[in-house]
Amino acid sequence: MAVERRRSDARAHLDQLLEDDPADLYENAPCGYLSTLPDGTIVKVNRTFCAWTGLTPEQLLRTKLRDLLSVGGQVFHDTHLAPLLRMQGAVREVALDVVRVDGSLLPCLVNAVEVRDGEGTPLMVRATLFEATARRRYEREILTAHRAAEESRARARTLQQVVIELAVATSVADVATVVVQRARQALSARGVALWLVDEESAPRSSVSLGGPPRPSGPSLVVARSEGLPAGLLEELVTAAGGRMALELAEGLRVLTAGGRMLGTRPELDAALRLAGLTALVIVPVTADSHRLGVLVLGLGPDDGDLISLRDPVDGELPAGDVDLLWTLGRQAGQALERARLHEEATRQAERSAFLLHAARLMAGATGVAETVERLADLAVPRLADLCVLDLVSEHGAERVAARHGDPARQHLVDQLREWAPPAHDLPYPARQALAEGRTQWFPAIDEDWLGTVVRDPAELHAVRAMELTSIVAVPLVAEGRALGVLTLSADRRRGPFTAADVEVAEQLAHQLSLVTAKAQRYEFEVRTSHTLQATLLPPAPPEVPDVSVAVRYLAANRGAEIGGDFYDVAPLVEGHVAIAVGDVVGHDITAAATMGQLRSVYRALLVESPSPSAIIDRLQASWPLLGLQRMATALFASLDLPSGELRVASAGHPPPLLVTASGHAEFLPVRPTRMLGAPPAPAEEWTGVVPPGATLVLFTDGLVESRWSDIDAGLARLLTAATRRPTTDPDELCDRLLGDLAGTHRADDIALLALTRRP
Amino acid sequence: MPVCTRNDVRVSGVPDGRPIVFAHGYGCDQNMWRFMTPDFEVDHRVFTYDHVGFGRSDLSAYDPVKYNSLRGYAADLVEILDELDLTDVVFVGHSVSAMIGLLAYQRAPQRFGAMVMVGPSPRYVDDEATGYAGGFSREQITDLLDSLDANHLGWSTAMAPLIMGNPDRPELSEELTNSFCRTVPDVARQFARVAFLSDNRADLPSLQLPTLVLQCSEDVIAPEQVGHYVHEHVPGSTFHQLAATGHCPNLSAPAETTAAIRSFL
Repeated sequence: MAVERRRSDARAHLDQLLEDDPADLYENAPCGYLSTLPDGTIVKVNRTFCAWTGLTPEQLLRTKLRDLLSVGGQVFHDTHLAPLLRMQGAVREVALDVVRVDGSLLPCLVNAVEVRDGEGTPLMVRATLFEATARRRYEREILTAHRAAEESRARARTLQQVVIELAVATSVADVATVVVQRARQALSARGVALWLVDEESAPRSSVSLGGPPRPSGPSLVVARSEGLPAGLLEELVTAAGGRMALELAEGLRVLTAGGRMLGTRPELDAALRLAGLTALVIVPVTADSHRLGVLVLGLGPDDGDLISLRDPVDGELPAGDVDLLWTLGRQAGQALERARLHEEATRQAERSAFLLHAARLMAGATGVAETVERLADLAVPRLADLCVLDLVSEHGAERVAARHGDPARQHLVDQLREWAPPAHDLPYPARQALAEGRTQWFPAIDEDWLGTVVRDPAELHAVRAMELTSIVAVPLVAEGRALGVLTLSADRRRGPFTAADVEVAEQLAHQLSLVTAKAQRYEFEVRTSHTLQATLLPPAPPEVPDVSVAVRYLAANRGAEIGGDFYDVAPLVEGHVAIAVGDVVGHDITAAATMGQLRSVYRALLVESPSPSAIIDRLQASWPLLGLQRMATALFASLDLPSGELRVASAGHPPPLLVTASGHAEFLPVRPTRMLGAPPAPAEEWTGVVPPGATLVLFTDGLVESRWSDIDAGLARLLTAATRRPTTDPDELCDRLLGDLAGTHRADDIALLALTRRP
Repeated sequence: MPVCTRNDVRVSGVPDGRPIVFAHGYGCDQNMWRFMTPDFEVDHRVFTYDHVGFGRSDLSAYDPVKYNSLRGYAADLVEILDELDLTDVVFVGHSVSAMIGLLAYQRAPQRFGAMVMVGPSPRYVDDEATGYAGGFSREQITDLLDSLDANHLGWSTAMAPLIMGNPDRPELSEELTNSFCRTVPDVARQFARVAFLSDNRADLPSLQLPTLVLQCSEDVIAPEQVGHYVHEHVPGSTFHQLAATGHCPNLSAPAETTAAIRSFL
């Protein structure tokens, strides 16, 4: 029973609540109620809304709903809510902030309907307002998170794009293009430029840098620029010596027009404003903490010609943008390193191929002149526009090549060649290279500097006309000896030489030095040997009464070998004539020197008028004392002019030939003893008579021996030639014998002596 | 796509009447003119249109770069007048469209015959440097732009294709509330920025047309001193004070507004 009663009491209470006073329901509803006139004037408001706002009904009535709202709410009311009510009669879920009496905001969601009469004329507006503090906060958080996610996604997309594009960028230029374009897009920058540290301006210590003074510190060059006006770029370049280098060292910076950091650089600040920019962002481009360059972004006002609500502040950039730029700088750095390695590898390969080609070409050259010609062909225009080569010797310098790649400018080079040394000093770069013994690199040259180093106005004129922009002079050094200087120049069309160019020039010069040194040494030896030999032989046979003498000496003409052949005719006392022919073993300068010594000793022996065999014996005996290193063959003869008596002794030498006036010829049967320098053995002497009109012919084996025939065949040919026609003129006989036997290609020297006893 | 389709240009009235072009301001779309156009259709060729991004314009034509300035909207207006080949146009620009009309006039003065500016403001932000009072401090404008984000008015990406893609099925929009003022949040945000952050004061003196400045009462968006500023800087302009309150007399007091324009014309 009790349970049942309690149940029926509860129902009665609920019934009573449900039959509640509608006025109370209105006043204390869990939402705000407002009724306004069509113009927004509040004509009725419930207690809930009054309590929320802290305003009394008296304060609220006759004011307009709009006037209760925040500024944003007022604008939204007038531009959206009121028009919508007129156009569609109702609005739902409009978010507005009501300002409480204490000034705090009450975030609301508003639903409203326009009450109209039968003709559609608005009578009033009924509105309900729900408090939405938590919901609006939540929405705002979602919105903020959504925006952050959007921005983060956009940045991620940008970076992804950058990574993809950089992966396929193989050259520094490609990398620069990608970085500049993407950075510009990512920050909606007005313009972007990428400066790179000019690594190449740092030469190796073995190279001497010359030319006009250059700014100290790392020099920065623009690799790519977009959208930044020339004036601003110039200002930034001017700042490169100091400010930019500093920024480079200090990291990501934001410089604002009129800000503190640009205060010290009014010109840059002015250029920035003139370009319509509000700030510069400077981003280091690095790879493994190695600074490669700097990316500069020029930012304009946020919204083009719209009013800026917030003045940009020095050093401030959204954190997301800062992260993006840092990453971009690092990505760019790594890509640059990669591209540089790639380019360097390509360059190295090209350089190696070039140098190998050069080495082959130069090695194939015979003689200095041809080597030099080939070098000039290689260097111009592949490496330089102008190639000048000066070789030095004890007589001074000689300009052996001056080649321009442009035929139209060759005449200028020829002018320069006209002042070739020794009439003038070497030009400054070459002179300096020789003096210092190291490469002189002039990366840039200017008018002022030229004026200080050229030797006369005509030279200045020619150099100017060639528009030279860069010079490298490399000394040619081999075996510790300065051979000359290779000077390469670039003109305006080519652009200045880089450190890599200098390296190639040095390697080329090194190859040239070796080849030239070898060629010079060879030529020097050949010249020296022949000179020596020529000076050791008697210049002309002496006048001897009652005999005519003819001598011939034919040097070998294949290869540069020289022989130790000699002949000698010396009148002695009492109508005697001493005759000798010899041949020192070997074909070199030692052979020639030995021959000289042998002849001197022989001449000394003649003082005592020894017999031919005695001469051989003495020479044999004294050979070790003389210290002669080579053995020799020789034929010694003595002729008594009044009687025609002839005495001959041979040390391993081919026999003499006697040709009579009637044309009969025979080899004299002299029995040779051992060669000079071999263990001594007694010499035998042959004695006979040279009839009047007969000719005695002495020769060395070069006349009868050749690669193609043995000595016996040669002797037979000699006999044939000698007997072909009778003569008493030894010159005529010599010419005939050489004509028949010597041939045009001789591997050995030939000494030939013919002596005719006058009839 | 023809310009007139892009901007959903609608034509009514008498074919040989003087052309009158109505441009909606910041807030909603060309429906704003629905209570005034019937009166003009009697003796004018009446044109209404939507700015790109609003109403039933072609949303795909929205270019954030182009429309980051009122000049982008002015270029569209010139294109419309060119395509329709209109001259001696009476241009009625509400709110920010008054300035759009002014900029379009600078580009193609030969098209225009008279200018009606309804609640114009050449600059909403106060300018301390010149003592100009636009009605809003920078802080207030910042708050305003922030608070506008809170109202997407029922927009969602799921709805977008329905709303933008079916102009011929009004029953779809029946389902949706607040349809006349709805647009993509990003477009709404950017248009608010462009509208409230432009400064066209320097352009006013270039207007060499019969010009009517219609000033509302109690307009917090374009206060009275701003209307007077416009009147003073447009040579030979007429100033008319409306009794209508708020910023949209075309909706709240169409008869008074119409009468004022008619008496000016």
